[in-house]
Amino acid sequence: MNNQAPNQTGDLTEAMRLALLRADPALSRFDPLPRILSFDNFARGHCGWSQLVGNYEDDLDTMLPGYAQHTSAMLSTLAHWDAGSHGGMGSSYALKIATRPVAGARNVAIKRHTFRNRGPIRFEMYFTFKPEASTLKLSETDVRSVGFLFDLQGGDQDGDGSNDRVMPHLRFLNALDGQHLQKWQYKRETENIIPIGTDNKTISHYHLSPEGWLDLPGGSQRLCYNEIPTKVNWTYLCFDFDLATMTALGLRCNDRSFDLSGYDSIRIPAMKNLWCMLNFGLFAETDIAKRAFLYVDSICISGDF
Amino acid sequence: MLPENITAIVSRNERWCGEAASEPYEAGWAREAVFFVRALKQPIGATATAWVEISPDGMHWLREGTEFALPDERDAVTMARLAHFGNWLRVAARFDDGAECTVLVTLHLKA
Repeated sequence: MNNQAPNQTGDLTEAMRLALLRADPALSRFDPLPRILSFDNFARGHCGWSQLVGNYEDDLDTMLPGYAQHTSAMLSTLAHWDAGSHGGMGSSYALKIATRPVAGARNVAIKRHTFRNRGPIRFEMYFTFKPEASTLKLSETDVRSVGFLFDLQGGDQDGDGSNDRVMPHLRFLNALDGQHLQKWQYKRETENIIPIGTDNKTISHYHLSPEGWLDLPGGSQRLCYNEIPTKVNWTYLCFDFDLATMTALGLRCNDRSFDLSGYDSIRIPAMKNLWCMLNFGLFAETDIAKRAFLYVDSICISGDF
Repeated sequence: MLPENITAIVSRNERWCGEAASEPYEAGWAREAVFFVRALKQPIGATATAWVEISPDGMHWLREGTEFALPDERDAVTMARLAHFGNWLRVAARFDDGAECTVLVTLHLKA
C-alpha cells in the first residue's frame, strides 16, 4: 500500500492538472508539460518575439547579409484587400513575420530565455502562412517555407561534451523553384563561423542559409492552404526536445506524428557567453519576388521540471 | 495591464536612393505613431524629403499628408508624429540623382 500511495497522489495531481487545463478556454487547445514557461496570446502584445538581429562590431556593415534583411515582427489582424480582417483563433490578433519581396528572402523572429533545468521541453503553436495577395491567383507555391528553430547551450559547469551549442532547425518546405513539395526538412550544418570586427570577441554564422536542408524521412505532409490567398486556416504544431540529452523527442503537425529517429540538430562547440541559453525562433521564406507571411495565433512553451 | 507600446526597426542600414520606402508595417492596434529616421552614414547630395504613407491593404499606398526632411548629416535624426491612421504605415522618400542616405528607420507605436 505504501508503495502505491505516491503513485495514486501523482495520478490525482495529473488528473487535476489536465482537468484544469481542459476547462481553460485559452489553454485547452494545447497539451503543455507540467510547467508553462510562456503562453503567448498576441492580443496581449508581442510577448517577447523580437527581431533576430545579426552580430556586429563597430559598424553595421559587419553584419552578415542573411541577418541584415531581417525586420521587426508585427501584430496583425490578417487584413486582406478583398475580405477585410481575418483575425486569429481567439482574438483579432496574430504575430506576423513578413519577408521582403525578393526571391529567397527570409525573416526571423526570436524569443530569448535561459533554462533552469535540463529536461524535456515542448513547443506548441497554431500557425498559418500565406503570400502577399498581390495577384488574383491561388499562389500556393509562392511561399518557400515556414519553420522554427531552437538555439540551446548547456550550463557553464556541464563539462566538455555536454555543453555544446545545439540548434534544432525544422522547416515545412512548401515550394522550391515553383515546385509544390510540401515536406518537412531539418538541418545538421551551419555555415562557416566568421569573426566579426577586430576585438576577437564576436563571431557570426548564418544558420538559416538555403544550403544543407535534409528531408525528414516520412516527412511529406499536405497542409490546408485553402482556395485563394486570403482564406486562412490555423494549423497545430508540437515539437518535443530533451535538454538533458539534447535530442528531439517528437514532431506533431495537426493529425500527423513524425518519426524523428533519423533527425539531428546543428551542433557546434560551446560559445563563451551563451550558457543555459534557451532561444526559440520562427521564420518565413519566400520563393518568388513577393512577400511571404508567417502568422502565429498563439504559442505555449512548457517543460517537465 | 499596461497599454501596448512597441519599438519596431523597419529599415536598418539600408542605403536609400532614387525612390525608397520602408517595408509595410501593420499598426492598427496603435493610437499614435512616431517615425524616426537616423542617418548612419554621411548623406550624399541634396537632402531628401520623406513622407508618411498609409494603405488600405499594404499594397496600394497613398500619402497621409505628413512630410519631413531626412537627416542632413551622419547620426542626425528627424521624425514625423502621427495620431490618425488606419492599419498600414510606411515612410517613403525620393532622392535626386546621385543623392543617397543610409538610414535606420525606427517606428514607435503606442496603444
